[in-house]
Amino acid sequence: MMGIKEVSSFIVDNGLRLGADEVAAIAAHITSRQVRFANNEVTVTKTWDTTSADILLKKDRRVLIASTTDVSEEGIRNTLKGLIRTVKVMKTHKNYAPLPEGPFQYRSIPNLYDERIPKLGEKNIDYVEAAINSALEGGTVRVAGTLLTTDSESALATSRNVDGTRKKTTINMVVRCLANGEASGMGITCGTGLGEFNPEKAGREAGRLARMSLNPISGKSGKYDVVLSRPASAVIFDIIAGMDSAFNVDSGQSCLAERIGKKIASDELAIHDDPRAAGGLGSTPFDDEGYPTGRTTIIEKGTLRSYLHNSFTSEKYKAESTANAGWIAPHAWNVIVEEGKLKEAELLESVKEGLYVNNITYLRFQDYRRGDFSAVIRDGVFRIEKGELTKPVRGLRLSDNLLHILRNITALSKEPEQIFHWWMEWGTPSIKTPMVLSSDVGFTVPTK
Amino acid sequence: MRELADFAVEYAAKLGAEYAEVRFQSDLENVYVVKNGNPEFAGFVRHRGLGVRLLVKGGLGFTSVNQLDRDLVEKRVREAIRMAKASTRVMKKPICLSPEKVIEEEWEVKPKNPFEDVSVEEKMGLLFDIDKAVASPEETGVSIPYRLIQLSELNTEKYLVNSEGTAISSRIPRVLFVALLTGHEKGRGTEQEIIEKGEGRGWEAVEEWKLIDHARERAKTLGKILKTAGKAPRGKLDMVLGNQVVGLIVHESVGHPYEADRIFGREAAQAGESFITRDMVGRRIGSEVVTVVDDPTLKNSYGYYLYDDEGVPARRRFLMKEGVINEFLHNRETAAEMGVSSNAAARSSAFNREPIIRMANTFMLPGDQAFDELVEGVQLGVYMKTFGEWNIDDRRYNMRFVGRECYLIKKGELKGMIRRPILEVTTPGFYGSVDALDKSLTFEGATCGKGDPAQGMPVWHGGPNARLRGVGLGGRE
Repeated sequence: MMGIKEVSSFIVDNGLRLGADEVAAIAAHITSRQVRFANNEVTVTKTWDTTSADILLKKDRRVLIASTTDVSEEGIRNTLKGLIRTVKVMKTHKNYAPLPEGPFQYRSIPNLYDERIPKLGEKNIDYVEAAINSALEGGTVRVAGTLLTTDSESALATSRNVDGTRKKTTINMVVRCLANGEASGMGITCGTGLGEFNPEKAGREAGRLARMSLNPISGKSGKYDVVLSRPASAVIFDIIAGMDSAFNVDSGQSCLAERIGKKIASDELAIHDDPRAAGGLGSTPFDDEGYPTGRTTIIEKGTLRSYLHNSFTSEKYKAESTANAGWIAPHAWNVIVEEGKLKEAELLESVKEGLYVNNITYLRFQDYRRGDFSAVIRDGVFRIEKGELTKPVRGLRLSDNLLHILRNITALSKEPEQIFHWWMEWGTPSIKTPMVLSSDVGFTVPTK
Repeated sequence: MRELADFAVEYAAKLGAEYAEVRFQSDLENVYVVKNGNPEFAGFVRHRGLGVRLLVKGGLGFTSVNQLDRDLVEKRVREAIRMAKASTRVMKKPICLSPEKVIEEEWEVKPKNPFEDVSVEEKMGLLFDIDKAVASPEETGVSIPYRLIQLSELNTEKYLVNSEGTAISSRIPRVLFVALLTGHEKGRGTEQEIIEKGEGRGWEAVEEWKLIDHARERAKTLGKILKTAGKAPRGKLDMVLGNQVVGLIVHESVGHPYEADRIFGREAAQAGESFITRDMVGRRIGSEVVTVVDDPTLKNSYGYYLYDDEGVPARRRFLMKEGVINEFLHNRETAAEMGVSSNAAARSSAFNREPIIRMANTFMLPGDQAFDELVEGVQLGVYMKTFGEWNIDDRRYNMRFVGRECYLIKKGELKGMIRRPILEVTTPGFYGSVDALDKSLTFEGATCGKGDPAQGMPVWHGGPNARLRGVGLGGRE
């Protein structure tokens, strides 16, 4: 069996030998381990051992990609032959751009690999037990969740003198507590090392919110000032990052289209993609085309500054690549929402009457281009009265426009935290976000 | 490959697994994408490997490898056994599986026209022709500046073997077409349409879909919505829901909440649980005209299979019978928990995913009326033919569907188009309001999401046109 560096070089060499103009390959080996739990007990443990290769092949301005888990020499040759046969009958890409010419120097990023994580073994069960026990401390709830660790190494090689490797570990835990059917709470702890990993804290937070959610009142439709807790904010900013991909802008899946340089949010909001952030779940020294990564400002003082680009989209938009390839669709690596001026408690105190929403799920658009959407809210929804969380609320649905919510942001809290959870459906690997206060946000209820 | 799968079963049993199940799965997928008239890319996905699931002292373990190497299989099976054993210290009772028949079988869906026999030029050519048809304002009457059109074809091969003696081989082709069209009209903003079709057969399905005509018609409709649709009424009135809307609603509010793993809380941290509890079988939840089934054995369906990924023979499941909760969707674990047999709902999307409870083809059985009869019975109401935005809470109780192609009904007749009426209703509120169904039955292909890691699963959902009495319509201000 070849090592991953050999696999990526083998692909590039053989792709060129078969007649390709340009080839890029990312070979990766990842060992992932998961413990899932529900009803206060483990439901399944899993281990995945995956070696894979992704291939970009270009010939005569035509573009093909492949993903394979058959990384034997014969398997790779067969895949490449198939690509070469197919590329001949493709049409030329209108926004064709060559791969960037290397070599590049890639500076290392601190705190992306913790050698203790691959060796955790049965300790993962202990973490789950600790989270469950912490969740149960304040009274009976049912505890569910997932612990996932990964240990990955990948190698990029291209026919333009690019050669890079990267290693990373991650550890993510989501704890959700339920009580009496509708009451629920969620806590998250995640990172690239054990330093900040705190299963007890995640369990305690989930249990606390679930117990606070008991005996809810029925919500009334209308407009509210709403405090979005970090898991909820992460869902909103995951979508903003996804919609900032020039591919999505170009395919009708973004309400950020034609808004570069325009005010799309309140002055309070600043968002960056920072793939060089120490300890970032999505941090990487290079993008999929080999460009060294750097910080890209997406929104600055409420103004949309940049889309996320790869070579193809930057060619179309006559812009520089932002080192966010994705060979086909550029994407964010590690999104940072700048913190605000208020402490958490001060942010809440500033709300005389409103709602607190801990998590947003099932966010679906009627029209991506306009940003009209609705979403289910859960895991801690409370009335805010005179700056304090009072009654838990049930039955409300967030129903508004994405840009309207951004424009109406009046404050962000201090102490942003790195968040990753299942409902960040647009695929941003990590969002570091504070709490967000937005005014005049719409909520609806069922009519029957 | 088969030898390695057989070996993995024997090796797990030798190390103390009371049950072991190994699935070799190969997915060969080709994807073609045209965006705004540009050939974005074509791509291959070639994924194959072994997934091993085992029970040790009542603890459940899963592992997968894609390097088909005996030493690696041994290493990962040993780890899976160790972790499954360790997990039992955070378990109240051991996991058991329902007893099921041992099956030795091979099944296959043979395409009339295999994907390999159709040239890439023809496939890309079709996507360009579709793009051309919808991009032309002369043909559609509307400007559609954003067009994302995708076709994917997939050949899946599986070999499932377990320590009880079951050994099943299968082969099936599947094809999926998805298009996102964004129309624009000055002064009226944008409106979007998603076209989705999927079937479990070869290229003959694509030929029968007549995609160019279909997409052109949908684009024309988009134009009519943008140019003519008026304000939607609000308040309490009757509705007629189109086949597409009924299909999605039964998938979301009968299919998902009847998944027994959700009922027992196993998916609580992600997709959620269910408002249905295990003691609700036999309870009325809808009107007598409503029967909802899930049936993996529908020929050509996108969710077709004859044996599930635990080797249990597939059959039609009557989830709701004449308005009464009849049965849940089970795998062997939940069936054992409820003291029944599995009804073969365990599915896995790839070699590296554990089989979990999934729908196949979920639909409401049709009634006996004509569509016109449904409409004739409405004094003031709305006909919601297709949907756009939708969602449902994680207990599947509180749902919302926003209409796309919709018409006002006045005195038993369809009038002009209306824009974005909103049906926001509870599940019992919805099923209790259905009073009549027409004879039609159509299906839509879709990819259903569930599990952690997420598993996208091919499904159909469908139903007749349905009439609802006295539901409240909301609307965006």
